[in-house]
Amino acid sequence: MRGVQKDLPEFQAEGIRPVAISVDSPDVSATLCQKAGYSFTFLSDPKAEVIRRYDLLHVGGGPGGHDISRPAEFLVDRSGTVRWENFTEDVRIRPRADEMLAAARNIQ
Amino acid sequence: MAGQQLSLAEAGRKRGNSALWWGLLFTVLGLLSNFLYFVVKAGQRTFPWINLIVPALGLVLLFIGLKRAFGQSQIYRGKIWGSIASALALLLFAGSIWGFFHARAVPRSAGAPQVGQHLPDFTLPDTGGQPVSLAQLLSGIGGPGQPKALLLIFYRGYW
Repeated sequence: MRGVQKDLPEFQAEGIRPVAISVDSPDVSATLCQKAGYSFTFLSDPKAEVIRRYDLLHVGGGPGGHDISRPAEFLVDRSGTVRWENFTEDVRIRPRADEMLAAARNIQ
Repeated sequence: MAGQQLSLAEAGRKRGNSALWWGLLFTVLGLLSNFLYFVVKAGQRTFPWINLIVPALGLVLLFIGLKRAFGQSQIYRGKIWGSIASALALLLFAGSIWGFFHARAVPRSAGAPQVGQHLPDFTLPDTGGQPVSLAQLLSGIGGPGQPKALLLIFYRGYW
């Protein structure tokens, strides 16, 4: 997400709106945004309802055995269709922001 | 007894056993390396070997240090603290291996939305607690205008 924040002007120029989603509460997300300087939209799914519906739930993956979201990225066009996605197999390995930007450029 | 006293007297002149220090350091770094992030091309199958190589190198160095301390004890120091450091390093190594595979224990998410599929709508609160729907985001509400696309980033949270 740091990479996305760094390239935020490029994403915005391309007409791409980043939206981050996790099980963190609005308060926790607000604190994270403030601390890390994230200025894009953060949404909270504390009961992991959407995360579960999208089959992204990592059961017991969080501290204290809490259910969390696995890392995943989707590019969704105006019609609500998924145009690009990435599912890492290792939480240490994340996609590059410039690559997501390149994928976004392919969307008309 | 006399021999023991002699070796104690000689202790001041024995060589240091830096392999033990380095070994312990590498096992600590090995454990910490699991908190590193690797930013790579999407879909690229990357195996973070470094997270295994660093702690393994630590164990090799400790083995060399222990071999010196016990095999050439008239030259090298480190019998006692080297043994303690090695026991600690083994715990750190076990922790590294656990951390390594824990980081790879990500669910497959076979039922996740696929490219070309329509993403089901949702409504979730933003940082101000205001409900925001996918449809609203797609239509550009609360943004600079209607976006061409959304980049949805699902993340683990608990930062």
